[in-house]
Amino acid sequence: MAVMGLAAPDPAPVRFVLQWGRRYALTMANVGLACCAVEFVAASMSSSPLLQRTLAAGTGTTELLVISGTVTDRLAPAVRRLYDALPEPRYVLSFGACANSGGPYWDSYCVTRGIDTVIPVDVYVPGCPPRPEALLEGLRTLQRQIDGDLRVPPAASELRG
Amino acid sequence: MNASGELPVRSRGTIGLLEENCTVCMLCARECPDWCLHIDSHKEPLPPLGPRGRPRVRHVLDRFAIDFSLCMYCGICIEVCPFDALFWAPDFGYEATQHADLTHERGRLREWMWAAPPPAPGAGSTERAASDQR
Amino acid sequence: MSPDEVAAALGPTASISAPYGELVADLPIADWHGAALTARDVLELHFFDFLTGVDLRDQGFQVVLRVWSVAARSGLQLRTRCSADSPVLASVSDVYAGAGWHERQAAELLGIGFPGHPGLEPLLLEPGSGHPLRKDTGLAARAAIPWPGAKEPGESDRDLGARSRRKNLPLGVTARDLKQP
Repeated sequence: MAVMGLAAPDPAPVRFVLQWGRRYALTMANVGLACCAVEFVAASMSSSPLLQRTLAAGTGTTELLVISGTVTDRLAPAVRRLYDALPEPRYVLSFGACANSGGPYWDSYCVTRGIDTVIPVDVYVPGCPPRPEALLEGLRTLQRQIDGDLRVPPAASELRG
Repeated sequence: MNASGELPVRSRGTIGLLEENCTVCMLCARECPDWCLHIDSHKEPLPPLGPRGRPRVRHVLDRFAIDFSLCMYCGICIEVCPFDALFWAPDFGYEATQHADLTHERGRLREWMWAAPPPAPGAGSTERAASDQR
Repeated sequence: MSPDEVAAALGPTASISAPYGELVADLPIADWHGAALTARDVLELHFFDFLTGVDLRDQGFQVVLRVWSVAARSGLQLRTRCSADSPVLASVSDVYAGAGWHERQAAELLGIGFPGHPGLEPLLLEPGSGHPLRKDTGLAARAAIPWPGAKEPGESDRDLGARSRRKNLPLGVTARDLKQP
């Protein structure tokens, strides 16, 4: 079995098993920047099994970053550093209009127009703010993506320009 | 969402478009604070109504798209529409894996129209409420 | 705290009014620091609320300082007007320590100078970013993207090139933005 990070990716059957194990137990970290963070907290208070592992103890165990809230130009490098510090496999869910595209503050002098200009995003959940149930739907979509995702992780060159 | 999974009737989940009512006045696109309504149209001539009538023109909608990555669900487009072509619908699970897939075209907006709740009893009445009477 | 007390304390150059139910004293720029000292020491308005600027375009920048008395539960706004070309105002950070941060913010976002301030370092923006809250600074994002509302009914994107752009400037975009490459 190839070690993560070396040149040759795992063979497809191995990756299938690994992905199957991952999809049901994603450890998340909420990058709570603004109002959407409260909706994430509301979702994490639910009894849904998807959200039972929302407390990630440090970057070593985090698999999913949920970016909830407005990303300012001042904070964007910090989010980038956080993403870079995560080991593979790592996924990003962009939660809310501000994280998707700048949202209501798209024309501001200090707002980054979408976190996907800084880090690659796997799922975008629209809303201002999205309902907690919309987060669950987004997580299900992410699970389906992980399930069918037999590729190697996306490269940084896939960042939206 | 209550225990049986029902959303409140006026939930702002998404926006439905009733194309039959739209006259392409462009008011929604102009008033949107996020610039997320994209409307294209063209003019088609209509025959005059009578023998001495002037030629008429009709605006035909080509494209009506809402970019939900920007939408902040303020409802200004729905309020400003003079012809009631836009409605709130309570659906919410339309996340996407690509940024461009958050922009929905008129076909999808029309599907959401069927999820829009019916008007409340008394809505659209031209009688003023007792509190409005002077 | 009555208007007469405030007028007596601040002197004849201040004009007292109450446009929104709270006392406002409009002062000439030379009396600014002295009025802040008076407000703190004589009128006992010890609580600093905010200091902010208003861009009045040709009429300059109006700077508003609001202070509050916790004991009397009433406040006072001090206002003065700086010039539009090079707005400069004496710093009141030695009178109200809290004003230090607010003056840094006004200096960065509106470009008002506060001589006497210990250090007007920028709070948020990179150097060379201009003063974004000035009214003649357009919104760069709006200038860069075509406005969907610029189209008239019956037009598509391909029709837009023909019409003069100046006729359809949306809110927040200035003519100066369009001249940039």
